[in-house]
Amino acid sequence: MKSDRLGSIALAAVAFFVVAFLQLPIIVVLLAAISETSYLTIPPKGLTLHWFSVVLNDVDYLAATWTSLWLALLSTLAAAAVGVMAALMIHRKLLPGAQLLSSLFMAPMILPSIVLGVALLHYFAALGIRGSSLGLILAHTVLIVPYVIRASLSGLQSIDGSLTDAARVLGAGPIETFRLVVLPLLKPALVAGGLLAFVTSLDNVPVSIFLLGANQTTLPVKIFASVEQGVDPSVAAASTLLILLTGAALVIAERWTGFHKHV
Amino acid sequence: MNRLSSSGVALSAPLSLLLLLVFLVPLALLFPISLQPFQDGAAGSGLTLGNYSELVTDSFLRSVVVETLLLGLVVTLVCLVLGYPLAYYIVQATPRMRLALTLLVIFPMLLNVVVRSFGWIALLANRGLVNNLLRDIGITDAPIRMLFNHFSVLVGLVHVFLPFMVLMLIPAIQAIPKDVQNAAYTLAATRRRVLWSVTLPMSMPGILSGSILVFVLSISALVTPRMLGGGSYKVMATLIYDDFLQTLNWQAGAAMAFALTGMTMVLVFLSSKLLNKFGGNE
Repeated sequence: MKSDRLGSIALAAVAFFVVAFLQLPIIVVLLAAISETSYLTIPPKGLTLHWFSVVLNDVDYLAATWTSLWLALLSTLAAAAVGVMAALMIHRKLLPGAQLLSSLFMAPMILPSIVLGVALLHYFAALGIRGSSLGLILAHTVLIVPYVIRASLSGLQSIDGSLTDAARVLGAGPIETFRLVVLPLLKPALVAGGLLAFVTSLDNVPVSIFLLGANQTTLPVKIFASVEQGVDPSVAAASTLLILLTGAALVIAERWTGFHKHV
Repeated sequence: MNRLSSSGVALSAPLSLLLLLVFLVPLALLFPISLQPFQDGAAGSGLTLGNYSELVTDSFLRSVVVETLLLGLVVTLVCLVLGYPLAYYIVQATPRMRLALTLLVIFPMLLNVVVRSFGWIALLANRGLVNNLLRDIGITDAPIRMLFNHFSVLVGLVHVFLPFMVLMLIPAIQAIPKDVQNAAYTLAATRRRVLWSVTLPMSMPGILSGSILVFVLSISALVTPRMLGGGSYKVMATLIYDDFLQTLNWQAGAAMAFALTGMTMVLVFLSSKLLNKFGGNE
């Protein structure tokens, strides 16, 4: 019995060590962003918001942030539209090859992103639309649509079939039934899937980096490129902005639908 | 039936069309590139399998492929060794602790990989936090080199993929009927014995699917090896990046990309076969 108690203490210690390890680099980025010195010490030597003003006054960083945001937003909306439609088809097995089609729809999740990136680089270059916003949005939509489909399918499964039957009996058409019954019930799952899709787009480097035009960049690609030229605190401040953007998206989704229940 | 089918077509047409034009066709069009010879900085004429055979015959390319696979293997093992105790702890924790720990596992996963790699650079650099701390305490005089080597890439990749492993293990451990464990206790088995003879074997489907997921994701990672490995550290993904954007040898890069895809496909296929055998429902 004594060894059992030692065992539980050891287990708890390992568990907390691993959880702490997961938070470590995030805390360090936050510390680096408010530290006065360009290198890091514990405790930090002096606190400042200077690096944030550097980033927020930097035209390049602002443009990159803006590009990241509209790219993530538009591709999430596009993925939500085509993804929900596809999920409805799979859920109701409306086509004979539904299973096969659903593997195709989930395939962008399995293919290494860098392979999609280089294939699209070659393809868009051949079509002459490399560096176009449309190309970027289409690429990100393909990349994130599996998240929407997966969430929608699990949401559709939990909807009571008798509710849609009732709507149909009461004379609602298929589109009305979808809009008035299915969509409201699907909302929590859809918001969760949409958030994952949004964050995945916001996070992406291996596809974006091959498709961006010469004068265009996203926030993660910009941070990725600036680190190659050396580390400075403004990178930490920019990274902190990205952490805050992600956190804000998470809080909005949680307030809206109780996100943590759908992960 | 006819009306049903037509609505099925209408519902799947937009995504099918998108995937055809922006996924399948681009991949199909890249494939012939991997069969072109690369001569004098441009595509030569004729078709060849040379770009593929060089992945094995060329000693540099072979070492990159081996490095990638070994790295994937080590990352997977470390994620399993660190992730299993955490998942096991989360499953038996109180509901409040469970929610808190689960959120702390999910949160880093949502954060940008670039940002997290940057965090590790700030920690592991010669003038980084860890070295400063070691110097201040007086353990070392000269900084210990921890960045831009195998160690930093391993740490960075484990950090990125550990949450995936934990989230795959939690449901697998949870699915083990409590009765089985209790029966073992009733038969006077010790806790350690129950863990080794009951819990671990019965969570094998989760261990397998988590390991394959982590391995597949690690071998295709670009950002972490590039940022934490430095310019001279090469895995397959960073080499593809160089081939397409720097040396402009698209032929070699395309062959490497399809080799990576092939490995991924084989592993995903094997894992679904294995899981069927185990009767898992993932």
